[in-house]
Amino acid sequence: MISIAFYLLTALLFSAALMVILSKNPMSSVLWMVVAFFAITGHYVLLNAQFLVVVNMVVYAGAIMVLFIYTVMLLNLSKDNDNRASLLVRLAGIVSGGLLLTVLIAALRRSTDAAVGDLAQVGATSLVGLVKPLGLALFRDFLVPFELSSALFLAALVGAVALGKKEASD
Amino acid sequence: MDFSTLTLEIGAAALALILLVVGLFLPDGKKGQVGIVAALGFAFLLVLSFLAPGSKGPFFMGQYMNDGISVLFKQIFILGSLLVTLMSLRFTRRFEDARGEFYVLLAFSLVGMMGMAGATDFLTLYIALELMSIPLVVLTAFEKGSMRSTEAGMKYVLLGAMSSAILLFGLSFLYGAAGSFGYGAVMAALTGGQTGPLVVIGGIFALAGLAFKVAAVPFHMWSPDIYEGAPVPVTAFLAVASKAAGFAALLRFFPVVLVPLGLGMTTLIVLIAALSMVLGNLTAIPQTNIKRMLAWSSIAHAGYMLLGVMVASFAGAAALVYYLLVYLFANVGAFAAVTAWSELSGSDEISSFKGMWKKSPLISTVFIVSLLSLAGIPPAAGFIGKFFLFVEVAHKGYLWLVALALVMSVVSLYYYVSVIKTLVSEAPEGETSKADIPLALRAVMLVSAVSTVVLGVLPGPVMGYIRNILSTLSS
Repeated sequence: MISIAFYLLTALLFSAALMVILSKNPMSSVLWMVVAFFAITGHYVLLNAQFLVVVNMVVYAGAIMVLFIYTVMLLNLSKDNDNRASLLVRLAGIVSGGLLLTVLIAALRRSTDAAVGDLAQVGATSLVGLVKPLGLALFRDFLVPFELSSALFLAALVGAVALGKKEASD
Repeated sequence: MDFSTLTLEIGAAALALILLVVGLFLPDGKKGQVGIVAALGFAFLLVLSFLAPGSKGPFFMGQYMNDGISVLFKQIFILGSLLVTLMSLRFTRRFEDARGEFYVLLAFSLVGMMGMAGATDFLTLYIALELMSIPLVVLTAFEKGSMRSTEAGMKYVLLGAMSSAILLFGLSFLYGAAGSFGYGAVMAALTGGQTGPLVVIGGIFALAGLAFKVAAVPFHMWSPDIYEGAPVPVTAFLAVASKAAGFAALLRFFPVVLVPLGLGMTTLIVLIAALSMVLGNLTAIPQTNIKRMLAWSSIAHAGYMLLGVMVASFAGAAALVYYLLVYLFANVGAFAAVTAWSELSGSDEISSFKGMWKKSPLISTVFIVSLLSLAGIPPAAGFIGKFFLFVEVAHKGYLWLVALALVMSVVSLYYYVSVIKTLVSEAPEGETSKADIPLALRAVMLVSAVSTVVLGVLPGPVMGYIRNILSTLSS
């Protein structure tokens, strides 16, 4: 049952990811990306990583995609804009993409089906991906640095606004 | 989990949030009153730090330490923030609508500094360091209309990022050797014989990252440009509080993490101290801008203070804290005088000081007392601060370092006194407009000058308090 869901999600993910780079219209690229994010979220559900499910849904599929859509709409990309990369850039892209693929294959080659099964077993029973252990790590084990970093983000935000704001006299 | 350890940190963070909200609700013309709230808040925190120093010991799984060093350093940071806030009240009027944010960022930076004084864990140390630095970058670039301020902010963010990278790189090597972030665990692993060349490299990189924050040679390149470009009160804050925070971190980091790496680390810090004293003092001589000159002089003072870190003892820490206090009042006094004078004359070149004595005896007196203290002339406090510090270095057996420091103090006399000579000399033109100094700035100048003299004439009570806190709250 789980493996059927896995293959379905994977197929959906691959086709959505392909559509992101193949579709001509940037808007539909973005929408296909939302589909890809949903498929990844489904994978997290299968891995029993509850916290990642929620975060991925809210942050990536929600907030970041809205940002993307607005950016695309504001940029107002016209269709006749020929933005194909030069030969050199394409070649560099193929080489670096191929290298990444090699590394991934090298890493996954040794993991036999049995090992994958073990991992799935661990994923189903361990508490790693659950909200509780994460909360304990953040609010018990690393409380001081965690709270300091929240102050850091707020300070950076205030600073960015203070610097970016237009002066009234301008 | 004992949150009372974090009373001051929580207080400062709460103050930052309160200021943010107060700034929101004040009507447009009255945003400057955020500064008054900030000053009251810092004064309250200062009182609180005396009333509730908290209980001693490591807290939060060994990540955070409350002892004499952290209490004393927190008091220095709060005092610095309070004085800088009072200095800025008039100054921030020129920022139309972003005045409140100035104080919010000051308070956030204070939280980071307190974190640096308490951190006994790489992760906490690093995040606290960034929490201190990022608001400082924004404050440096706060004068949006000024090219130099923007340029200084840009330089600070780039160089600060690079120094952070170096610090993190070094810490990752130490973490690799010890398998833990905590200072205690790292020390245990290192004294257990986990030292290899990679670990030593890690130690050197971490030392370089922290030496950047205190602006010691050869990691000082950023400070003259940034001190010159930043608004004057921000320069004072950088020179005083940010440097003190670097020393707080070093005072914890050096004896626990670096000393177990071998004798080479002590040699290294001695070398950095000697280079800072020599280069800082010699380069200060030809400077024509007062902020640049004070920047080079603060590099030289970082050299003296590194000697206190190198001593790595109870008495050394007490001498260092006393020196920092003296240095704080002298620098705040000098920068307050520069602020008041540049409001008057519109320039911070040393040549514009001509006729200052005629125009404003108050600014001149404060300036002279501060400069004499920085040079180490009795009865100003600089003399007694240097005395305490050098005695400890001599006890440690580094007589040649004491001799070098004394010679360099004499060299420093030259450029401090030549500023004094300029400001008592006759003005070229005969205009005599009366100096209008805002009340808060006047108070800062008077407090700094009086404290400088009192600390120089009567060191007993304050030194007694420092030793008392260190011994009752330390092991």
